[in-house]
Amino acid sequence: MKTMKHYLALVPILAKTHKKQNRMSVICIFLAVFLVTAIFGMADMFIRSQVLKAKMDYGNWHVQLKYISEEDAHLISTRPEVKNLACYGTFNYRLDMGYTLGDRDVLICGSDENYATEIEIDMISEGSFPQSETEALVGENARSALGLSIGDTISVNAPDGTTHQYAISGFSKNSAMITKKDVYYIFLNTEGFRAIFPNPAGNDPASYNSIFMVQFHEYTNMRKAIAEIKESFSLSDGQVGENTMLLGLYGQSGSDFMMMIYGAALLLSMLVLLAGILMIASSLNSNVAGRTNDFGMLRCIGATPKQIIRLVHREAFFLCRRAIPLSILCASLLLWLLCALLRTLSPQYFGGMPVFGISIPSIIAGILIGMATVFLAARSPARKAARVSPLTAVTGRASELAPVRKAANTSFMKIDTALGIHHAKASRKNFLLVTGSFALSIILFLSFSVTIDFMKQAITPLSPWTPDLSVISTEYACDIDNEIFRSLQENQAVERIYGRMVAYNLPISIERKEAKKKETGNKEIESINTENKDAENNRTESNETSKHMTCDLISYEETQFSWAKKYLVEGSIDDVMKKPNTGCIVFAPSYEQNTAIQLGDTVTLHTNEKEAEIEITAIVSKCPFAASVGSAIIICSEETFRALTGEERYTIIDMQLTKNASEQDVTAIRDIIGTTYAFSDKRLDNDNVLGTYYSYSLFLYGFLLLIALITIFNIINCTGMSVSARMKQYGALRAIGLSHKQLSKMIVAQTCTYALTGSIIGAIIGIILNRIVFERLVAFRWGIAWEAPIAELAMILGVVAFSIILAIRAPLHKIHEMSIVDTIHA
Amino acid sequence: MEILKVQNLYKTYGTGDTKVDALRNVSFSLEKGEFCAVVGESGSGKSTLLNCIGALDSPSAGQITIAGQDLFKMKEEERTIFRRRNIGFVFQSFHLIAELNVEQNICFPLLLDYQKPDTNAVSEILDVLGLRERRHHLPNQLSGGQQQRVALGRALITRPKLILADEPTGNLDSKNSQDVLELLIKASRHYQQTILMITHNNGLATSADRIFRVNDGIVTDLGGKFESISLCAGKGE
Repeated sequence: MKTMKHYLALVPILAKTHKKQNRMSVICIFLAVFLVTAIFGMADMFIRSQVLKAKMDYGNWHVQLKYISEEDAHLISTRPEVKNLACYGTFNYRLDMGYTLGDRDVLICGSDENYATEIEIDMISEGSFPQSETEALVGENARSALGLSIGDTISVNAPDGTTHQYAISGFSKNSAMITKKDVYYIFLNTEGFRAIFPNPAGNDPASYNSIFMVQFHEYTNMRKAIAEIKESFSLSDGQVGENTMLLGLYGQSGSDFMMMIYGAALLLSMLVLLAGILMIASSLNSNVAGRTNDFGMLRCIGATPKQIIRLVHREAFFLCRRAIPLSILCASLLLWLLCALLRTLSPQYFGGMPVFGISIPSIIAGILIGMATVFLAARSPARKAARVSPLTAVTGRASELAPVRKAANTSFMKIDTALGIHHAKASRKNFLLVTGSFALSIILFLSFSVTIDFMKQAITPLSPWTPDLSVISTEYACDIDNEIFRSLQENQAVERIYGRMVAYNLPISIERKEAKKKETGNKEIESINTENKDAENNRTESNETSKHMTCDLISYEETQFSWAKKYLVEGSIDDVMKKPNTGCIVFAPSYEQNTAIQLGDTVTLHTNEKEAEIEITAIVSKCPFAASVGSAIIICSEETFRALTGEERYTIIDMQLTKNASEQDVTAIRDIIGTTYAFSDKRLDNDNVLGTYYSYSLFLYGFLLLIALITIFNIINCTGMSVSARMKQYGALRAIGLSHKQLSKMIVAQTCTYALTGSIIGAIIGIILNRIVFERLVAFRWGIAWEAPIAELAMILGVVAFSIILAIRAPLHKIHEMSIVDTIHA
Repeated sequence: MEILKVQNLYKTYGTGDTKVDALRNVSFSLEKGEFCAVVGESGSGKSTLLNCIGALDSPSAGQITIAGQDLFKMKEEERTIFRRRNIGFVFQSFHLIAELNVEQNICFPLLLDYQKPDTNAVSEILDVLGLRERRHHLPNQLSGGQQQRVALGRALITRPKLILADEPTGNLDSKNSQDVLELLIKASRHYQQTILMITHNNGLATSADRIFRVNDGIVTDLGGKFESISLCAGKGE
């Protein structure tokens, strides 16, 4: 055996003998540090992923300056905090100026070289930035459509009949807007851009519709720099535009909304820290307090109170030595897993996320919280241990549990339940710490759940009906050749194809079966209808049998009907699908006219040649498109549409592609469609939405899952600790005649006292904080009224209940397996 | 009337090299109202014997019958209920419930049975034990002797057929030891209860009707008190 050189060498020896008790404290420290490191790390990675995405979506610039002179721009570019400043301009952005390349409209952009290389991310896919006035970067879509390569010459036709020729210096990546609108674009250098720009009013950059994009060095105080630039050059707010998203992610935004977000983030971080502190404090408190006798014995042998305090501190840090590195490792593993998931889900945006990313701030936060809390939490039990008199230690009385001040109330409850509740409340400090940590789990869950509401408002996820490609009639008429539909249907790259025939602005009149407003009994409609009620009642009274308005009649086929079923408010979609001359109304509270049509109404359509009737047999709450202004939307089957209008062809054909569909496949599809109809490629747009949605969901649901898991482990651990602390007492009670069932009841009562008190406190504070966070994150921006988070509360209380069941099972099983004698001596 | 019957009792701990025979082929019986002492050196198996009789521990082999009922043929729950109704325990370290006052501690076995304690019976026990004045005190407000008297009251409240006392005076001074012993004897006589008491104190052992000596797991019936004193003295205890 190794010789002890210092009394503190006792620490590892004590750690060995108290392995079981220490294990629980180590688990607590582990969970707390893991919670802090993982949540902060996830937040860090989330911000990094969003920075990556924001740079790709909006460019890596921080402010844009309008209406400034070249000289001022030059002066600003020489400021030490400015990394890049680039002139950027565009025209024919609305595609209404008549510039074309080949057969399509062309968007013309021009900038300094550093805009393409420094401010835009991966803009040039091949080749280089134009070095002369007669060179141009061309979009990838034009490259594939026109079969271009570097060095080729392209001709841009101006509306005045002139032609501008450019040699291709390179190709530039497509943007979502370009593919969606199915147009081309070229990128020139500033000189080239100014040469083609039509009729500039003057010589200043603003006359060329140009602005200056400013990129600061990453770690500068951007707010201060912006304020100084504004002041030095007397710039108004209107002249300085901020990249709110990017500045916001760097914590440098001045926007009110970002300030609200920062406030909410600060509140949530504080809660996470507090939860960590409480978890560690409660575990150390019961660990050290349960061993006061040992410290009393040491006092007996001759240790001074100061030495005892040092010993307890050293012991606490000994626990940290194992728990903290382990939790940081696990948190990092979790982060790597999440980043790997993100890279797989959306490689286009998050391919740049590190494989083994280390979040230094979260690790520092984890270590600091772990060490500082352990130090603070160990202080009070250490002092308590130091105060134990040697005499009480020798007589063994120090090992007794906390002194009881008041007898348990056994007159209202059964003895087992009464004792269980009393055990929970025996030590006020322990009760506060344990219920506090339970309550904080609930508070954390309820507060973080608002981030899901935030996500739902900030991002509209892709609907099942979102198409990758669409063919649209240029005349908005039913004129797309059915042969095209059949050809597309046979294409291997098309996974799903569905078309719609649309008759816009059809005059209609409504016949109501009952003159009086029908009691639909549907609360949803009633509530939305409230504001229109008076107007509607007036109408009903004045014109009891018919009303005149317009509608957009749209045909659905089977797939679209199946999607619509999810939004059915009333009636039957099957009737609309199968019964001839039936239709489904889309409920839109914003159109007063629309609300006039109700279930059971008969709508008469007035087409050019004839009148036809359609009966409304269903109401849906949502459809993928907006109605023409002032019109209602009526959806019917293709058979009904044909019978009513006589039209046979589609107005819109939507396609969803297979996962493996390539650019060649899309080109082939384009060739099938030809140029008669408008073509829209929404894949980039969809990828963008999906990328944002994935990153938000992964981290936000990750937060919630982590909090729920920590709640489960914390409750299991706390229960385990409180049972171990009373093992001896349970043995004695069993000896006197307490049955196993009664013991179970006692432990259940004890745990439920913690959980119930924690849940009540947690629910009250959690709901209040939920409201505060909601008002900052959601209501401020989107003006949505706060509603009590009943579902979230039920969910977390369910987790608590489930944890209690799990938590009680193990110690009860253990006691059941042990003989009473062993329990007394445990 | 035979209250306790122990037949061919064995208790073994561990296996192989670490095997320890704590009790070896123990057989004896106790009649109603008998007050017996168990003596023996530390580690001889006294407490193991008491724990097995009290169904706190299960024997490796053999049979224990209390009032005609085989303890180890019962199911765990049944055995617990049987124990709290028929066996009273008095421990060296009292094992009172810190959260309950004197009266509640005494009534505890009845409360476990979800019975309403008979106030007269409780008052009688409090009087007998001299605890009437302290009935609302918590254990930490009592002296060692008073705490052990509460433990005694708890053992007596259900009028059990058998009281098992494991060194009940081990933590008490001689005056309190004598008081507790006198109370035990008084109860045994008054309620016709059988008492089996482990003790290291020869003086206390001499008060017993019968004495058992345990040595290396073997129990020897030493018979009446006068014989035992001489035998104990011969062993130097």
